[in-house]
Amino acid sequence: MTAAAGLGYVLIALGPAFSLFVSVIAKKPFLILTLLSSTLFWLVSLIVLSAAWRGFLPVKSAVWWPYVLLILTSVGFQEGVRLVFWKLYKRLEDMLDAFADRVSKPRLYLTDKMLIALAGGLGHGLAHAVFFCLSLLTPAFGPATFYVDRCSHIPFFLVSAIMSLGFVIIHTFSMVIAFNGYAEGRKSDQAVVPVVHSIAAIMTLINLAPGGCVVGVPLLCFMAAVTLHYCWQMVWRRLTEHRNIQTNN
Amino acid sequence: MAQDPDSTPSLLDSLGEEIIRIVAPVSACMLLVVLLVSTLSSSSSSPSPLSSLIATAYSDPSSSSSIWDKLSGALLSSLVFVASVTLITFLLVLLFYFRCTRFLKSYMAFSSFVVLAFLGGEVILLLVTHFDFPIDAITFSLLLLNFSVVGVMSVFMAKMPISINQGYLVIIGVLVAYWFTLLPEWTTWALLVTMALYDLAAVLLPGGPLRLLVELAISRDEEIPALVYEARPVEPLPGARRRLWRERRDFGTNSGSNSNPSSLGYMFRQTDERRDFGTNSSLNSNNSMTGEVLPETRLVISEQESAGDSSVSELRAPLLQTQLDSHGEQEIEGIGLGSSGAIKLGLGDFIFYSVLVGRAALYDFMTVYACYLAIIAGLGITLLLLAFYRKALPALPVSIMLGVLFYLLTRVLLEVFVVQCSTNLLMF
Repeated sequence: MTAAAGLGYVLIALGPAFSLFVSVIAKKPFLILTLLSSTLFWLVSLIVLSAAWRGFLPVKSAVWWPYVLLILTSVGFQEGVRLVFWKLYKRLEDMLDAFADRVSKPRLYLTDKMLIALAGGLGHGLAHAVFFCLSLLTPAFGPATFYVDRCSHIPFFLVSAIMSLGFVIIHTFSMVIAFNGYAEGRKSDQAVVPVVHSIAAIMTLINLAPGGCVVGVPLLCFMAAVTLHYCWQMVWRRLTEHRNIQTNN
Repeated sequence: MAQDPDSTPSLLDSLGEEIIRIVAPVSACMLLVVLLVSTLSSSSSSPSPLSSLIATAYSDPSSSSSIWDKLSGALLSSLVFVASVTLITFLLVLLFYFRCTRFLKSYMAFSSFVVLAFLGGEVILLLVTHFDFPIDAITFSLLLLNFSVVGVMSVFMAKMPISINQGYLVIIGVLVAYWFTLLPEWTTWALLVTMALYDLAAVLLPGGPLRLLVELAISRDEEIPALVYEARPVEPLPGARRRLWRERRDFGTNSGSNSNPSSLGYMFRQTDERRDFGTNSSLNSNNSMTGEVLPETRLVISEQESAGDSSVSELRAPLLQTQLDSHGEQEIEGIGLGSSGAIKLGLGDFIFYSVLVGRAALYDFMTVYACYLAIIAGLGITLLLLAFYRKALPALPVSIMLGVLFYLLTRVLLEVFVVQCSTNLLMF
């Protein structure tokens, strides 16, 4: 429905990501590089998943259990790959610390590490939002719009954009939670991330039922809010602990 | 050990700055080409004489012909193109050898003018007709003339502000890349792959024309007259820094050592009926290793490098650092990529990256995003290799190969998966 609507959908899906980029990430060139590499990494994970599932698609529309399998395998694979991402990040951190020692600059601060985790998570969210939502938005710039049978209340593009918004938030901040969890070794943080991811993905299965998107999409936004809250609590705790340690030294 | 993160600058503040300074214009060029292609391809009512000429020259058989016919036709066209590019490059090497620098420079200026005035004029006309923008012919021709003349001046005169120079180089890249996307599909892909292979051969093989050119330029300590994007900082520098640039260059030419790096990437244009465009590219950089080389070793290094092997030298680093210290500026460094020496990327690289992304845009936007990420990754890998090997490297092969690979993977695998999930309102 015209360029204005198309642009509106883009901003709904990517608005917070864009503002995060401009306010936090664009200021430090290294974070831009982290964002780009993270987006590429998760794109490769999506390609691997699609290669694995290529033989079984397209799924017949009446059956719903293949979708459950699809979602569960995809989430499981991505959470496994997140560990690989963490290992890569650890190696990068060691290289950066060694480099910092060599040029006699201070090592990475806690906030630096959190910023890198944020950029990594934003890359993850961006990869999903761009490929699941943005690349299908091209018809929205034309004169008409499209409705899906199962969700005939609002245009398909709007539903897709809101879901992408939810997932951008979930992925961005779960990466921060995950990295802090792996760094500190707290099992609760480490476990929260896959759980939240799976619950959010399974909630999108509610959309398969006719009229289910009225329930599914708000629940997804609720999960995003939960992730945001948890991340906020964790970061606040970590930073105050860190500051207490610094003032005690 | 109370570290206040706000006061002391962290490591992350300046790391990777050089890479971003080259990734940003490449991304801008690709974005503009994608926008142009997506706006203008929908309104392709009557093809202009130029595009129909190109279409008949690179005669792509109709869709009813078999895949083998299409493939062989495309390969033939791209081989002819690469052969003509090789010939032109050898001609350039010959002219450079006989020091016909003035001729080369004036030819460059002429070709830039033609690109900006004629190609640019036609693109702007297409945009004007598409958006029904009211403008009369006299105003249009006056503005176009001014635009082209300023562009030629900015590219070839050193006194222009660097941002105008960089902007015009990006515009030239965008215009040439847009015209390349008008080629038929199979021809474009075959052309990209063969140009990547040619670039690899021309820069790395001992008899390759680009390698000869680099070695000639290094041994004579001259710059190749070429269209090259130099990623120097764009923001207004303090006066001390500007003096630093000139001092470094003067020192370089006076000492006769290979401190003035050559950069490759130039554009040719044959004004014959077929209107072949030839571009070559390679990547070069003047790195400076972060200051571990003592001044005493400088002479040793310069003697070793007077053989003309590598173009970059540690000898720049101690000189720069003493000058920097004397000016009291903060040391700027990156992981192996120099701060004083900017990374130079030939305009041909811009053009072929944008052609790949533009051709991907003619299919769908999903392929555009995937190819963009692949090209940036390839560029990053090339820059890392550059920091590692520190000699002239071809910038096309890695990026083009990754781009083509990701295009195929996305088109064959990812699209079905994503559309299946999305239309059922599933996401993870």
